[in-house]
Amino acid sequence: MARDRGTSDDYVRPIRRLFVGGIVVLMFALFLLWRIDSPRAERFRAMLIDRFVPSMDWALVPVSKFASMIEGFESYSRIYEQNQELRRELRQMRAWREAALQLEQENAKLLDLNKVRLDPALTFVTGVVLADSGSPFRQSVLLNVGARDGIRDGWATTDGLGLVGRISGVGQTTSRVILLTDPGSRIPVTIQPSGQRGVLAGDNAPIPPIEFIEDLERVRPGDRVVSSGDGGVFPAGLLVGQVVAGTDDRFRVRLSADYERLEFLRVLRSAPAERIELPGGLIGPGGAVIPDEMASGAVGDG
Amino acid sequence: MAEVVKPRIWRNRALYLGLAFLLVFERLLPLGELSGRLPGPDLILVLTYALALRRPDAVPTLLVAGVFLMTDVLFMRPLGLWTACVLLGLEFLRAREPISRDQPFLGEWTMVAGTILAVTVLNTGILSIFAVIRPTLGQILIQMIVTALVYPAIVVFCSGVLGIMKVSPGAVDPLGNRL
Repeated sequence: MARDRGTSDDYVRPIRRLFVGGIVVLMFALFLLWRIDSPRAERFRAMLIDRFVPSMDWALVPVSKFASMIEGFESYSRIYEQNQELRRELRQMRAWREAALQLEQENAKLLDLNKVRLDPALTFVTGVVLADSGSPFRQSVLLNVGARDGIRDGWATTDGLGLVGRISGVGQTTSRVILLTDPGSRIPVTIQPSGQRGVLAGDNAPIPPIEFIEDLERVRPGDRVVSSGDGGVFPAGLLVGQVVAGTDDRFRVRLSADYERLEFLRVLRSAPAERIELPGGLIGPGGAVIPDEMASGAVGDG
Repeated sequence: MAEVVKPRIWRNRALYLGLAFLLVFERLLPLGELSGRLPGPDLILVLTYALALRRPDAVPTLLVAGVFLMTDVLFMRPLGLWTACVLLGLEFLRAREPISRDQPFLGEWTMVAGTILAVTVLNTGILSIFAVIRPTLGQILIQMIVTALVYPAIVVFCSGVLGIMKVSPGAVDPLGNRL
């Protein structure tokens, strides 16, 4: 028996179509709004996430803890070899520690003799990772610290050893960290020891490439990569990772931060770098330093 | 004698919403990074389309719009665009639900795969036009293929676990109305 289509829905169908069309148009309008006024839309998103995700905390935390426990349990099987290996490494580390202590003392003495002033040490806020980005195409994590704890957009985040990412999107109690591997992440870096500058550009791969290196000849796999502080967004000298040669003939960076185990992250409080605005004053006849504006004002008066 | 099917609209809607929440929850779990691995299937999308061809009234437009807008917000996607594309695909499938009742499974699968392709192409095209940062074409292609391949598994899950099967031709509800 053939079904006769649309006898009963004759009067419903046009209304339905209008209704569905309306919703689709509304969604496109929302997209346009997002595209035009992105900062406001992202604030709205941060607010929604702030409302929604911490309420899932009670379930997220036990499940992720349980999963990491299972992971830990699997490694019990080779606990003996691990123990031996750790002992060996510990012995090596002791030797290194001794060397580092001596060097540190020597360094402090030399700095003192030369009256070198270093950056003040950065203070930090530690947060716990609440949730992943949830999308295979975006790399970010959500922390349980936010505007309430004084977190601001743009601050650097490390896992204690290496740079992890940058704060982007702050809610009242949560904030989002864009990881270095995210396609939207661009961080100015310096490659040591050659001092070459470059930009670490995330592209969804676990080892992001460095772009805009001036002199490729002077960069070698194994070189250290640290943040350069160019642009004044990031504090300089944070360890990022080591240069490796990618399969596509580009230099990439193996990140020092342990991206497999992002659990606690430090958000570094960084004061915005002071800017030097004036091009420099003139040195007047009396030996007094006259800033530009005053000098030009005097000429105008006379 | 025609087969009698209880509609159980609200049970199915609750099931859909619950499963969607579960899938979102699973994606949000902070279990190591996802980068570098092959992108997995978009299970919420497949579930929505599978239900649209079985119980269209379990996936009302407003509910689906709500669920996908929530994922847009949580997964850092551009707000609203993916939702709009998915809704267009949903309406296409919903309109073809009566036809698909007496279609073999392979035909249904092809239709759904085509819809997923169209929805993905539309989404990617608009993202490119508006110059939004988007994943590479290779990644999008892989995710699309994986999503289309996982459809039979979701269909088996629907009939086996949820007990939601395709409406057979000529099925009626307890009051004797044709479904």
